[in-house]
Parts: sequence; structure tokens; C-alpha cells
Amino acid sequence: MSREIVIDPVTRIEGHSKITIQLDDRGEVADAHFHVAQFRGFERITQGRPVHEMPAIMSRICGICPVSHLVASAKAVDDILAVEPPPTGADLRRVINLGQIVQSNALSFFHLSAPDLLFGFDADPAKRNIIGLARENPGLARDGIALRKWGQQIIEWLGGKRIHPTWIVPGGVSQPLTAEVRDRILAGVPEAIAAVERAIAWYKTDMVRWEEEAATFGNFRSAFMGLVDRNGNVDHYDGWLRVIDADGKFLADRVDPHGFNDFIGEAVEPWSYLKSTYWKAMGYPDGMYRVGPLARVNVSERMGTPRADEELDKFRWRVGRVAGSSFHYHYARLIDTLHCIEKIDQLLRGPDILSTHVRSRAEVNRLEGIGVSEAPRGTLMHHYKVDDDGIVQWANLIIATGHNNMAMNRAVLQVARNHVKGDRLEEPMLNRVEAVIRCYDPCLSCSTHALGEMALRIQLLAPDGAVLDDLAR
Amino acid sequence: MNGGPEGTLIVGYGNALRGDDGMGWHAVQRLSEDRRLSGAQVLWRHQLTPELADDLSRASLAVLIDIDVELEAGAVSVRRLDSAPDTGSAWSHHIEPASLVSLAHELYGATPAVFVVSVGAGSLEVGDRLSPAVERALPEVVDAVVAIVAGHGARASDL
Repeated sequence: MSREIVIDPVTRIEGHSKITIQLDDRGEVADAHFHVAQFRGFERITQGRPVHEMPAIMSRICGICPVSHLVASAKAVDDILAVEPPPTGADLRRVINLGQIVQSNALSFFHLSAPDLLFGFDADPAKRNIIGLARENPGLARDGIALRKWGQQIIEWLGGKRIHPTWIVPGGVSQPLTAEVRDRILAGVPEAIAAVERAIAWYKTDMVRWEEEAATFGNFRSAFMGLVDRNGNVDHYDGWLRVIDADGKFLADRVDPHGFNDFIGEAVEPWSYLKSTYWKAMGYPDGMYRVGPLARVNVSERMGTPRADEELDKFRWRVGRVAGSSFHYHYARLIDTLHCIEKIDQLLRGPDILSTHVRSRAEVNRLEGIGVSEAPRGTLMHHYKVDDDGIVQWANLIIATGHNNMAMNRAVLQVARNHVKGDRLEEPMLNRVEAVIRCYDPCLSCSTHALGEMALRIQLLAPDGAVLDDLAR
Repeated sequence: MNGGPEGTLIVGYGNALRGDDGMGWHAVQRLSEDRRLSGAQVLWRHQLTPELADDLSRASLAVLIDIDVELEAGAVSVRRLDSAPDTGSAWSHHIEPASLVSLAHELYGATPAVFVVSVGAGSLEVGDRLSPAVERALPEVVDAVVAIVAGHGARASDL
């Protein structure tokens, strides 16, 4: 008799989802699905709005990464206006985007995932949370808080508020940077670097403990995609799309992001509101690829900053040139964070960073625009069409979690096959299925997120819907 | 936002676009302009998050202001939090004030006096306005906060 296991909801991710695991007649895992059960509808809501309003509206998609949506949306509107932000305006957008990534990466690693890493995946959930982390390793918890706070302060100092700032506007940014704010941000750089380097040192020391998880946590062959600069180094704001296969071979390089529709397809499955994107040349579902911190370190030649490059070398020495295990998202996320801090420092020390020429102005000059940037969780794409008056007629968004949708489903399936034994629901399986999803830090466009235990229910269902087993905590 | 190591921290929190859940935001607008509290660090946040433990650790007195669905609409409640370590929920979007106090203690060894001022919710529907009952309660919230600060013996204006 085939059966179905339901994990609903998944904890410590941004948003609402559930997981079902389908068993076959022999009790073996036949399939697994990561369902996104919430619906937002921003692509429809924005129809009929003046295009200049789009960045401010789109930032409301998420309370965790509003700046990422602001950046991608503003770039799409730049495209419609056929306008280039002044160099200082672009650099300031880069700084706030990097600050966003620092705070979001810190949330993911220190607050959401570190409790699993510190206590083990089978530890009591009552202890395996931020409070438990504070008691067991207060230094690590303090570093997480300091890093996240510094990233949030960058957003607040530049954008005026921590959540949903409106400082990024079509054509650049609304206000220039002052020397006082620049110096305030720069004053925090040494401690931010020290905090993330302590975390990297801790992670590397303890890595051996997680070898089993690294081998089975979504460890599979896939392509990877990310933005790179003219040197092939990671670029969080601009550049070209690069896609590599599991062996590091280029599937595409120097792809103008404006042409992403030629390469990326979108599929819809009836069991989820989250679209599945795929590499068109490989078809669906074979064209699975991954984005985010792991993809960024895999596709790039170098990070492009000295300390992060030093850690990148060690990363590649430890896990290979193209890391395949989803577990390595954690390690990659720390290196990504280190790079972001160094890059903020570089940008703020630029000779023209205090220039008052930070915004270009224009009216609607094109009827279609595309904006692409790297968000904390991966490549983010906004695509709009407007009429002659600049009224939005159509919008399409591809968020990082959509790029990773197929990979997350594959990862859940692999973990389930390794840990679902027999017809009983066991905590170790539940913990690991959730944890492998957390590697991707999926953001389901929700401004809430869990830091610890929440009500959790798994059901084992017979084909007729009868509950055969029920586990709750 | 001039608080110091021995200052007063006032945090109003909630979603300003969900009716009475935004009471904390409305209260903060009034409190930040109240000269009796000049010098206090007054913050508004969507929710209590671990980062606030750092701010809490720098204060000798903290007042947290939130809506409460258990109270009668418009009723104002003031309670002092125990400094006993909390072992409860660690959710970020509704992290308990006691969890925040616990974090500040565990991470920074801080033990500020912490008060929670709550108002009973009338409506949490989408909108940026308060229900009449909660709107009427705002002056009482302000007075309660001022009384707490004065009673603590560390008038923010003297810091």
C-alpha cells in the first residue's frame, strides 16, 4: 500500500510551506514534494500602476530582502527609461544591496542554521534555537547579532529605515551619501570582518562532524547560475549571467541578463504556487540549476576581494572546484558574507562616493524593461511591460527560491530516501528534511520567519486519505 | 535615539498596516516628541528580534509597547518582567519579551528593568488607522510610560 508523509509546516524558513513524502507499496520513498502554499499575486497587483511606483511597491514583497527587490525593480525601470544611473548612484545601490546580503546571510547562518550545526540535527528542538545558541556558544550568537545589526544599520542609514526603504529610485538613488554616514559604516567594518572570520574558523573546525550530512544533504549533480563581472568574479549587482554544469563546464557565459528569457523557462506544477525555472537547452525537468551563495562561489573565478579569496581557496581545497552538496551552502554563505563586507569597504573608500550626482532622470523611452541582480538567496529577475504612458501592463518575477525549486525538491527526496525507514515517522528524518530545505534559505515572500521550534505536524496518509500515523511537536 | 549605557530604551512594535497591531508605531510617534522623555532611546520595530538584545543590554530601563489580543479593546496593562531566564518561544516575529530579556542576560550579562505596556486590540484588519478604543487609549499609554520612567528613578531627561 502506498502512503504519503506530510510535514506541515516547515520551520525556520521565510514563509509557509509543507513537505509530502510519497511511499510506494514496499514502504520505500518514491517521491517527495516541497509545496509552497501561499499566494501573493504581485505580478497582477501591479498591473495598472505607473512604472515609477514599481520599486516602492515591489519592495513590499518581502520584509527580509526588500532591498533586493528594490534594486532589481529599479534596474528594470532604468531599462524602461533607457537611463543609466550615475556611477556614484550605482555604487551606492551596490553598497545597500551588499548590506542587505550581509544581514540576510547572518540571519540564515547564525540564527536559523547554527543551532542545528551546534547541537546536532537530533537535539531537542526546545534547545536547538537562538536561545540555546546564546547559552551554549554566546560568542557565536553575539557575532550573529552584531553582523545582522550592522547590515541593517547600513540599510537604515542609507535608506532611511530598515525595512522597505525607498531611497533607491529609478535612475539611481534619491539622496547622496554624507561623509558622516560613510564613516559610521566604515567604522563597523573591522568588527564585521572579525565576526564572520570567527564564524568561518568555527565552521571549518567543526566541519568534520557533518561529513555524513554533507554527503547526503542534497548532494547531487546540477548546473549553477550567477552574475559575474568582466573578470568572471562574483558580482552582486550587475554583470553577465554565467551557467556551469556539475563539472564546471560553461553552459553559457557572458549572457546579457536582458536576454534571460531566451535561456530560462518556467514550469508550473499543480502542487505548488512556486514556479520551477529550468535551463531551456536542457529542457524540463532536466534543466535543473541552483543559485545563491553556493552557486556564486561555484560559477565565479574569484570573489574579487583578498580575505574572501583566501577563504575561497580553502573552500575549494576542502570540497572541490564545484561543490555539489547543498550542505555547503552554509560554508559558501559565510564566504559570500565576508566578500560583501570587504566590497562595502572598497566602495565606500572610492574617490567619488560622496558625489552629489546620484540620479539620472528620464521619461518612458522603452515599453519593456528587465532588471537582474543577486539577492541573498540568488539571482533575482524583474521583467515589466508598460504602455506609452508608462502604465504597467504586465510583470513577471523570477525569485531565487524559484530558481532553486527543483533542486530543493531533489534535495528533500534524497534526504527522505536516506532517512525514512519503514512505515513510522521518526524525528531524525523530520529534522533532516527540514534542515536540507534550510540550506537554501528559501524566502517565500513573507516577512516573518521562525528562529526556533514551532508547531509541526507530519501525517502518514493512505491512498484513500486515512491517517495511518501522525507526529506532532 | 540618544540613549546611553545607563539610559532608557522604549520600543514600540507591531505592523503599522494591520490596524491596532500598529499601536506601538502610533505610541512611538507621541513618545518620541514628549519632552518628559527627552534623551530616551525610542525605537519602532515590526517585531522583537534578537538584535534588540544588544540595545537592551545598554539600557538600565526598557519599556516594550505592544498590542494584546487577550485584553479588552482599549484596556491598558502594565507589567514588570521577571529577570528569570526564559525558555519559551524563540520565534522572531513574535519573540516573547522574556526571550529578549533572556538573550540580553545570556549574551551581555545585562539585567535592565523591563516593563511591558500593552493595549487590548479592537481590530487587526488591514489598514493604517487604530480602532476608536485603541486611539482613545494612546494618552494613557504615554502617561504609563512616563510614570514608569519617573518611577524608575532615572528620568531620561536627566541622563
